[in-house]
Amino acid sequence: MSGLFGQFIRRPEFGAMLSFVAVIAFYVAFGGVSLSSLFGAASWINFAANLGIVALPVGLLMIAGELDISIGAMIPAGSMSIAILSGYYDLPIVVGILGALAFGVLVGLANGFLAVRTSVPSLIITLGTLVAVQGLVLAGSVMLTGAASVPLNAPAWAKLVFGQLIFGKFQVIILWWFALTVIFGFVLHAMRYGNWIFAMGGDEVSARNAGIPTNRLKIALFVLSSTAASFVGMCGAIQFNSAQVSGGMNYIFNTIVSIVVGGVLLTGGFGSVAGIFLGALTFAVVSQGIYFTDIDRNWSNLIIGVMLLAAVLMNNTFREIAMRYVPKKSK
Amino acid sequence: MSTSNRIEASPAPSGGQSIKATIGQLLRRPEAGSLLGLIAVFAFFAILGGKVFLASAGYASWLNVAAEIGIVALPIGLLMIAGEMDISIGAVIPAASLTVAIVSGHYGLPEPVGILAGLAVGLIVGSFNGYIVNRTAVPSLIVTIGSMFGVMGLTLGFTVLIAGSTGVSLVPSAAGKAILGQFIGGMFEVTIVWWLLFVAAFFYLLHISPKGNWILALGGDKVSARNAGIPTARLTVALYMLSGFSAAFVGVSQVFVYQSAQVLAGQSFIFNSIMCVVIGGVVLTGGAGSVVGIVFGTLTFAIVNQGIYFTGIDPNLGSIIIGALLLLAVMTNDKFRQMAVSFATKKKK
Repeated sequence: MSGLFGQFIRRPEFGAMLSFVAVIAFYVAFGGVSLSSLFGAASWINFAANLGIVALPVGLLMIAGELDISIGAMIPAGSMSIAILSGYYDLPIVVGILGALAFGVLVGLANGFLAVRTSVPSLIITLGTLVAVQGLVLAGSVMLTGAASVPLNAPAWAKLVFGQLIFGKFQVIILWWFALTVIFGFVLHAMRYGNWIFAMGGDEVSARNAGIPTNRLKIALFVLSSTAASFVGMCGAIQFNSAQVSGGMNYIFNTIVSIVVGGVLLTGGFGSVAGIFLGALTFAVVSQGIYFTDIDRNWSNLIIGVMLLAAVLMNNTFREIAMRYVPKKSK
Repeated sequence: MSTSNRIEASPAPSGGQSIKATIGQLLRRPEAGSLLGLIAVFAFFAILGGKVFLASAGYASWLNVAAEIGIVALPIGLLMIAGEMDISIGAVIPAASLTVAIVSGHYGLPEPVGILAGLAVGLIVGSFNGYIVNRTAVPSLIVTIGSMFGVMGLTLGFTVLIAGSTGVSLVPSAAGKAILGQFIGGMFEVTIVWWLLFVAAFFYLLHISPKGNWILALGGDKVSARNAGIPTARLTVALYMLSGFSAAFVGVSQVFVYQSAQVLAGQSFIFNSIMCVVIGGVVLTGGAGSVVGIVFGTLTFAIVNQGIYFTGIDPNLGSIIIGALLLLAVMTNDKFRQMAVSFATKKKK
């Protein structure tokens, strides 16, 4: 095993790469899918972009050893905020956009403060905010507008930036996803904040003792994740000219699965942005690509479950190999 | 346990102080906060909901909800006390329902065969979860999310393959209906009685039999528990089988109550059961909690969930109350734990 290859297979994104190739190979071999139609299709890439934008910050949180499931409520919250502000009350679209993002920041701050100030696991904290935001959005939209669905007509420039279809089928949010992936990749792998995040996920007490502002960092990460979820909801509202209160709950498990398939360890301290990107892509191929195969789409959840378990078991094995490999080198 | 011994051993200086000590002791019990929450919530809805809420129809509405969630919340609570999680119950409930409906409804086999098959599904998924959790260092949250997706896919795939649709109906026999799907007095589901039996069994398991201490020890410190000779691996598998079984039981009884099984049912149980358990004072990191607390938590959840319909309030605001209650519960538990910890150190001085 040459050094370069050995190094590559120990990277967090190696497993994600392998899963991605394996799923496509499986679909080609057993589903009779043609690669040109699969790669030309927009449905799964659109799906991946929406999922991927949420998965990036949640993945960073998981690397830092935390979890955020309130995103499931933030997606409809983001879309309802902009639709109520700019659709129902006819305020300028900028107000709606800022309102949606501000709501995300607020919920993120609440999550972050609770996570920092108490010793309660973030799963439980964000479960609480998930339920509370869900109720708030449902009750709020019914109380203010009298309906569970609100129309929104965005001006042309907002549509162009947030809700356009490129070539009539690719959502513009794909470009946002690419851009955010690059930014997150830079932050995690090229800036000191990235090292801080890894250090915090590896050992929070040592990280704090080393002078890393763990509390501020944690709050910032929670703000990022709920704002990203709100952003996805907002783009959806602009794109489809209306906002729905339901939906978003699927994102909770879908993001966690795509992040884990992407090679991030739930216990923190290990992962990469490239892996999270590939994880979202792989998840999308499994759940949406199945429509291009002869396989009955009802089996897609089974494939996701098997893939997740295979991915974690594989990551587990690779980590063990990596752990054993290092002491040998130092000898 | 040790705290109470120490207090008894110390010479009681005056009656007032020993009463104070007893109250302090009660407050530090895991279920104290949840009892206060339950009383507050019940009073709130009794005032706002009035006579309708306090009539038997009112009781039936939230007891029916509490019974179904409660049967699942009990083993989830035990798992959480042992420091683990189980998300897969959300898929096991419909899987068990559909197994019964397909075996006894679609193929027309005798009901006991269908019921056993349904319960077996839960036991199989549970033992699979336990095995994977033991064999790998992967957090149980991830393992059970994986098995949830897997079981969901299998349920959907096989149901459509066999029955050709996503819902299967079953006309239960009189005996089956009486045991599992009856409405007592026309409104109380017989599931409530089953829930009480489950509560008694779990109370015995956690608080009377030696296995209960094993579970608490497992959640407190797994390595020490194993070193102390507790068969941690077998215990973990048993707890997962218990949660799979209980979820399957709920799924089976749902078929007899509603006379049909749907593929997309049970998802709401995942978070609802976790919330009941946490409101009931179980600490997610393991090592603390009680069956009585879980029951209180379940009742609180069900009262908020259903009681809101008896008031003039928008039902959606109910989930804000639940969210707030959840956060309040975890924060008071946090405080109580800190108080308990600091109390113990003071005594030592």
